[in-house]
Amino acid sequence: MLNLSQKSNVWRLVIAASLLLGLGLVAAQCVAVAPPAEKAVEPAEVVETVEVEEEVVEEVVATAVPESEATEESMAPSGDPFAEGCWEFPTEDVTIQIWWHEYGPFTAYVNELIERYQAMHPNVTIEPLVASQTDVNQKLTVALASGTGPDILDQDISFFAQYYDKGVLEPINLDVFCADSQADIEAAYIGSVLEGVTFDGTMYGLPYQTNSMSFFMSTDAFEEVGLDPANDAPKTWDDLKTVGAALKKVENGATIRKGYDFPYQSQRWQLQAFQPMVEQFGSALLNEDQTECLLNSEAAVNALTLWKEVTDVTGDPNTTLTSPTDPNRDFMDGRVAIWMTGPWATNQLLDSEIKDHWAVTSLPQLDPENPHTMMYGFTWGVNKDKPEVNKMVAWDFVRFMLSNPEEWLQKASFIQPRVGLLETETAKNFPFIDVHLKDVETATWYLRSVYTNEVVQIVGRAIERTIFQGVDPKTSLDQAQEECTSMLAGE
Amino acid sequence: MSFVATMVAGIKRRPRPRLGLKAKHSMWGYLFLVPAVAILLIFRIIPMIEAAYYSFTKYDLFSPPQFVGFKNYIDLAGDPVFLQSARASALYVVGSVIPVWIISLALAKLILSVSRFRGWFRGIIFMPVIMSMVVVAVLWRFLYYFPSGMVNTFLGMVGIPPVPWLTTPNTALLSIILIAIWRASPYFMVIFTAGLQAIPETYYEAGKIDGTNAWTEFWYITLPLLRPTFLLVVVMSVIVALKVFAVPQLMTNGGPAGATNVVPLQIYKTGFEFFRMGKASAMSMFLFAVMMVFSIIQIRLFSTSGETE
Repeated sequence: MLNLSQKSNVWRLVIAASLLLGLGLVAAQCVAVAPPAEKAVEPAEVVETVEVEEEVVEEVVATAVPESEATEESMAPSGDPFAEGCWEFPTEDVTIQIWWHEYGPFTAYVNELIERYQAMHPNVTIEPLVASQTDVNQKLTVALASGTGPDILDQDISFFAQYYDKGVLEPINLDVFCADSQADIEAAYIGSVLEGVTFDGTMYGLPYQTNSMSFFMSTDAFEEVGLDPANDAPKTWDDLKTVGAALKKVENGATIRKGYDFPYQSQRWQLQAFQPMVEQFGSALLNEDQTECLLNSEAAVNALTLWKEVTDVTGDPNTTLTSPTDPNRDFMDGRVAIWMTGPWATNQLLDSEIKDHWAVTSLPQLDPENPHTMMYGFTWGVNKDKPEVNKMVAWDFVRFMLSNPEEWLQKASFIQPRVGLLETETAKNFPFIDVHLKDVETATWYLRSVYTNEVVQIVGRAIERTIFQGVDPKTSLDQAQEECTSMLAGE
Repeated sequence: MSFVATMVAGIKRRPRPRLGLKAKHSMWGYLFLVPAVAILLIFRIIPMIEAAYYSFTKYDLFSPPQFVGFKNYIDLAGDPVFLQSARASALYVVGSVIPVWIISLALAKLILSVSRFRGWFRGIIFMPVIMSMVVVAVLWRFLYYFPSGMVNTFLGMVGIPPVPWLTTPNTALLSIILIAIWRASPYFMVIFTAGLQAIPETYYEAGKIDGTNAWTEFWYITLPLLRPTFLLVVVMSVIVALKVFAVPQLMTNGGPAGATNVVPLQIYKTGFEFFRMGKASAMSMFLFAVMMVFSIIQIRLFSTSGETE
């Protein structure tokens, strides 16, 4: 048996060994995440390059990327800012990481793009990481904060303003694109799509998925009640109440089919429905410089009152199997006749029970002559805290990924609202793409603010108080206004 | 004698304590503790100390923390959303742990009364514990479906109208409490089973001689001798209930109207969605303090004659 002195010595030994082991582990971790030494790449070298190698051009053609219009003589940008070959690609080995959220066809397509790009540039290794949308948000936040984030990040628009505010995003590198200025890239898109990735006049990413939130209608349900989806599609909210009431089916006090229901599976989706309604009534959720909440404005109260009126007549929020990970479930199963979702759902619907028995119409309007719709999307961004060569290759891979919008539509059902998309064969065969693109043209972006996620929660609670607890819309929004004001005051 | 020999002879060696065999074995035991202690330090103690520090700062993960004193704690006291989440957590704990204690003890007694196929029964009852939380959430979403999910169908058989379990603030919290009871009872059943099996038969034999019936046997013999096991179950079940996160996040995301927005979920949203890590850390410290106070109270209550487990 050890005496007191021996015991204390042993404990000292144990604690010292533990601390040393802990320090060793921490040191090992620091070494593992330390960024590689920056390569000395001078941007001027890229600008001075004048020749495009023939082998690169041949590889571009073989992989169905639009042909580069760059000539051997000059680096002047071609008409297509996403064309290949407008800069001198680095010859040293470069490894970049890309993270994105899991969605079957999307993941498969990005993996295919990675393989193609690596085949074109054997000195580049792209390490992917795929996670659920919830997990990738958390992983990305922590990784970016600790300096271990990926080179290319996938983020939904509600987080992008926060990442910009925290200074982790790299501005777009025009040297990599065949573009003299941002205007050349903007000219390749329709509508005001790129406003979503532009902060203080500079672009910090490019969207790979831009969703108009439109109304999908079950043609079987319409025909069952003697309605024609083409002619009877609701154009106004009053139309929706009439049509939705006709489509709603109740048997023995139980709702068998809802006419239309607002989304309740996610407060993020609730804001996608609420924001355009508030804007249609002539207001916004925050003032222009985002220093003041406007959640209990007359417009917002009118919007929530309309929400309740529509729900009372056409919906039943209690009867649902829709969930955040399966947001179209009720529509696919025929539990709701009209459902708000985006074009990304197209392939999923075609593969489901509902198949192609659906049509798409624009979001209903207070004033159809002055439509207000909403866009929600996901973007590719580049991490600022990476070596220069990594950032340039990262932007080049983003350029490469986005160079063929027809393929995105075909393989992932993701719309990039690019000029000329409607003329492609895939677009001509994509169901209701004209409606989706029309809605994008009249859309404003989902709330872009450092406070977006907090406003989402505040508005979601307000809506749920009114719908599930019967609280008067004004009272509910007054409480929301108080919470929002308190949130801003806490800054 | 040479100079060197003289010097060597002159050096007075300090007597070295010689370790006996038992001491050497003890030394090895302590050394084997080193990795566990290191992991505890790195992944528990140090992060807790850091969280305590961040709770006194304004910290958004990306900029250096700014010291703000007790501001975060003061804000929490007046934050209606946090107070609602604290209330939701309190209701969840009270509503889930008491039935868990009762049901798990009853299951343990039941299992021990079965002589044949005990292992099979124990395995089947234990299955909810090993299911992944995502599977649990999807499964119970279907079970709770309004109006014709399995739960409502059973209610209909006894004349109770269907209940919108997940979409009414009053029933949404009850819904996740029932899931907690379903999942936690088998786990603590195993602990109670071990505790019951450790009670010597002689006590029951002596009781039978004195004329005890099933109830007096349980009340006067089983429960007192089960005290240490009960302490473990009570403390663990409350801590687990206070930390619940996955089911509210997957099934309701804290809704409807914040009814199931328990404190851990609010901590997650505050830290990782709102980027207010200082405030989230303050909430974590509050939760830690509640767990510590509760655990200390329970340990003192359960200790007898100054003995503690």
